[in-house]
Amino acid sequence: MNRPAPDALAMRLAELLAQCALRNQRAFAELYGLTSAKLFGVALRILRRRDWAEEVLQECYVSVWNHAGDYAVQRSAPLTWMTSIVRNRSLDWLRRPQHEATGEEYDIAVEAWQDDSAGPLERLAASSEAAALERCLRQLDGKQRQSIMLAFYHGMSHSEVAGHMKQPLGTVKTWVRRGLERLKVCLQPGEA
Amino acid sequence: MASYKNPQLRDRLASEYVIGTLRGRARARFQSLMRYDSALRRIVAEWEARLTPLAAAAGEIAPPARVWRAVARRIAGGATRSLPFWRGLAVTSSAFVLILATFIGLAPRPEPPMAMVAVMSDDKGQPALVVSWPPMKAMRDPHVRIKVVQEHPVMATGTAWEMWMLPGGQAAPVSRGLSTTDADQTMRIQPALANKMEGAWGMAMSVEPQGGSPTGAPTGPVIFKGQCVRML
Repeated sequence: MNRPAPDALAMRLAELLAQCALRNQRAFAELYGLTSAKLFGVALRILRRRDWAEEVLQECYVSVWNHAGDYAVQRSAPLTWMTSIVRNRSLDWLRRPQHEATGEEYDIAVEAWQDDSAGPLERLAASSEAAALERCLRQLDGKQRQSIMLAFYHGMSHSEVAGHMKQPLGTVKTWVRRGLERLKVCLQPGEA
Repeated sequence: MASYKNPQLRDRLASEYVIGTLRGRARARFQSLMRYDSALRRIVAEWEARLTPLAAAAGEIAPPARVWRAVARRIAGGATRSLPFWRGLAVTSSAFVLILATFIGLAPRPEPPMAMVAVMSDDKGQPALVVSWPPMKAMRDPHVRIKVVQEHPVMATGTAWEMWMLPGGQAAPVSRGLSTTDADQTMRIQPALANKMEGAWGMAMSVEPQGGSPTGAPTGPVIFKGQCVRML
């Protein structure tokens, strides 16, 4: 597939978002083509059900279309902006009581991921913009890293992470909090 | 609340919001704080910039073609307006609500007091319908009352009007039921959904095919919307 390099992609996406703000539907179609597989992956990780992920993805693109004009003021990379929309919608979706995954679905989903537990970090290293994050994640204690990955990457709540790691809730909360504090320090500009 | 001014706490809540462990009411509360606090939004954006590369490493899975078809249908034509239409909603009709509150208070038949009321206006800001409901807990058969305030478009055959509860912020509208007539009416609310009415931020009405929205979200134009006002 003919696909732009990361920086070129970011620039192209920013142009397309600007076009979407001007109600250019062709630009929106191209934007969808360049980003929908990434964003569907993100939604699917969190929601763990294809039908939910499809519905959330649909909502998110309609929202991107409607709010493309707000993008410029956000001052973040286009893909970060869009990914945050998908993550937030997915997490809001899980907040509705009728959408809470049952314990069973959750266990099956986690089983399926155990084989590729090293996957995200490997994939992360492949993208240069994320190299710093990958390096900082590797510097965390194993428990801190695992709890952050389960929460962020798999969309688990504190209590789900605690259940998965068979640890008390308070311990897991502390791991997540300390891990995030260390990540922030490690990612500060100028930090070697 | 004073504690939200503590910089460490703000940073921690922002990080937990972005990582997704801030759930339930805490998440909703944080979202409403963010709406009025640009510094807090900036802290959140910084955390998003730090952590989002990890989300992008989720791997790519192409969504089925039906997702694009549904999106394309929704952005084509006038329906694109629907979200900004109610997001930009201001309390233009608060004076009207006060008048209405008096009116409801003077209703000739003894009725349970209304807990919430929303004046739903058309896209020109003209009040069209008034929706009100007593405390849902007090009702064995939960319902909302819809009162026609002035002339409004006649319901076309083969369509239904779908009532949406807007939870506020970025949260998606939630269907509250179908209306099959454009006259004054009582609209029943599924008991399972009734208790959520207390938290409604606003209400909206969209035109949908008979049987309601096929997607679970408004698909047709939003004809009326209004912000809820708590009466009790």
